[in-house]
Amino acid sequence: MPPDPIGEHRFDAMGTTCSVFASGVSSANLRRTEMQVRELAARLTRFDPDSELSRFNAAAGEWTPVSPELEALLRESLRAFEMSAGLVNVAVLPSMVAIGYTRTLADGPTDASPWSAQSAPPLPDVLKVAVGMARLSPGVGIDLGGIAKGWMADRLCARLGPNALVNLGGDLRARGAGPDGDGWPVGLGETTVLLDDHAAATSSALRRRWGDGLHHVIDPRTGRPAASGLAEVSVVTRTAVDAEIVAKAALIAGAKLAPAFCAAHAEAWWLRPS
Amino acid sequence: MRSLLLKAGATALTLATTVVSAHYVAAHLKNPAAPLHPTVLSVAPSVRQAPDVKPVTSTYAS
Repeated sequence: MPPDPIGEHRFDAMGTTCSVFASGVSSANLRRTEMQVRELAARLTRFDPDSELSRFNAAAGEWTPVSPELEALLRESLRAFEMSAGLVNVAVLPSMVAIGYTRTLADGPTDASPWSAQSAPPLPDVLKVAVGMARLSPGVGIDLGGIAKGWMADRLCARLGPNALVNLGGDLRARGAGPDGDGWPVGLGETTVLLDDHAAATSSALRRRWGDGLHHVIDPRTGRPAASGLAEVSVVTRTAVDAEIVAKAALIAGAKLAPAFCAAHAEAWWLRPS
Repeated sequence: MRSLLLKAGATALTLATTVVSAHYVAAHLKNPAAPLHPTVLSVAPSVRQAPDVKPVTSTYAS
């Protein structure tokens, strides 16, 4: 029996390009995935002062009710901190603001004062999560841009059935045998890999950059854009959220430590020095 | 006399080589855009490579 044809839907969201592929899924269901992305993104963006994340940041110092989705992401943020030995720390919002990343890059960066950036506090010290509630310490702000897309890709791919791929701005999750039965062909670094029940992501200091050495990958140890000797890291892991965490941690860790870190956490990796 | 000529020739050759080398190095400064090291790719057996297959998407979507 021939495999079901692969449906495809591409769209722009979260300031990046997204694509969804699945077999045996109606085009309406693929478009519904776009709506789900937009709905989640609207709640998790820091660029809208009325979003759930912005309201949570604004309520720092108080226990605040959070949705199941935000609660799950906050727990993932704590796991990312532990997994990366603190190199992936969502409490870098003050640094993002200091380097001028105060609005979507489509609207352009604002004035930067990177010398004012400070190291991020250890996340477990400033973020407490309980069932349906969470609390940030006063003066702390979080940016979920480093893990939210991968987390969303994992969830949405699972909803699309046994043979699907969801790519949200390069953070992608694949399930099943792909279009030809041997996995989903995905560009990774300078090669193509066949992914079945895998995920992949790239963290790059070459994109989303502006000014002199300013880019969106913050080293929480310094509070400034990472300058580790690596320009890009691409990895393959089992989940997209892990791929985001591992790629970013390796990029920040630098060329000496990245191979060992990737070997411990990834099934494939590609490192591009600066 | 012959020994002296040989020493002078060797010295001249050394000096000339030094000058030419210095000129060559100064004329071939490192390209700052060039990578300092080669890229590194590592793929475990659980992930198959297919460099000849056209990808449907990539991690460079943005």
